[in-house]
Amino acid sequence: MYSKLISCLLVLIPSLSNGHELTPTYPKLRPSYIDGVLVTDMHMWNRREDAQYYEINVYDDEWNPIPFAATERIFQIDYLAHKELEIYIREKDEEKVEYICTTSKQLKEDVKSTGIKSMICSRVR
Amino acid sequence: MFKSIVTLGALLMATSAFAVDSPITGNVSSKCSVYTDTAGVYGNPNPDELSTLPADGGVMPIIRYDVTIADYYTAKLSWPNSFTSAPSLTDSLTWDGEIEVASTSDTGMAGYEAAKIEYENHTEYDLTVAGSTWFKVTSNVTYGVDKPLPGGEYKANVTAVCIAN
Repeated sequence: MYSKLISCLLVLIPSLSNGHELTPTYPKLRPSYIDGVLVTDMHMWNRREDAQYYEINVYDDEWNPIPFAATERIFQIDYLAHKELEIYIREKDEEKVEYICTTSKQLKEDVKSTGIKSMICSRVR
Repeated sequence: MFKSIVTLGALLMATSAFAVDSPITGNVSSKCSVYTDTAGVYGNPNPDELSTLPADGGVMPIIRYDVTIADYYTAKLSWPNSFTSAPSLTDSLTWDGEIEVASTSDTGMAGYEAAKIEYENHTEYDLTVAGSTWFKVTSNVTYGVDKPLPGGEYKANVTAVCIAN
């Protein structure tokens, strides 16, 4: 009976929870309007009520940062809002690029005791 | 003649009725979502200790991972090893922690806990089954040698990463 109650609560809890989502899983780089620069489009959906700022980062397979350009590296996104992200990467880095990630940035006053930093990484293949 | 025209007309009308049949198609792409189900709270069971264990008066953070397709993502969770904000501390801190599967939406995920990889303050799980997995985080920190923690607010971050394979 007790385990059923717990299972029921766990099913109900997600409706109250907060989430962070980044798609596609495997983005493709394509030529941009600038010579020698590639671009990819990512889609972000913020379902975290406690986090409204996110940071974009691009890494190689050893998690070393790769230079990139975007309209904003740290951007504000309202709760339940969607955002399209255009990420520009130099053509010479095309073979090195492995991960494109977004990481939540919480304001100090939004963290009560233990905050949760969420990070989702798509893989460029 | 008239009968033939009526029959032909009825047949044509029937055909046009089929023509408006409009199928609905959909596609679920691979996706990972990280949810913060429960924000953790530190309890203060001893003057020199903070802990998220309920027995110590704390609340364990619970994080849910949803994956729509199996074998596309790895979950990497890290318990805190520093405070993001705290009163001024003059002595050393000893951090400890544990990440465990709290619950799963599919019986096929029963092996996640046994297959986890732990190193430093990180724990990795291969998300080999589509569905939801809840992870609970234990965090514990002790200050100096039997030294009371200064009064004030202590904050630390749990990191939850979802990496495409």
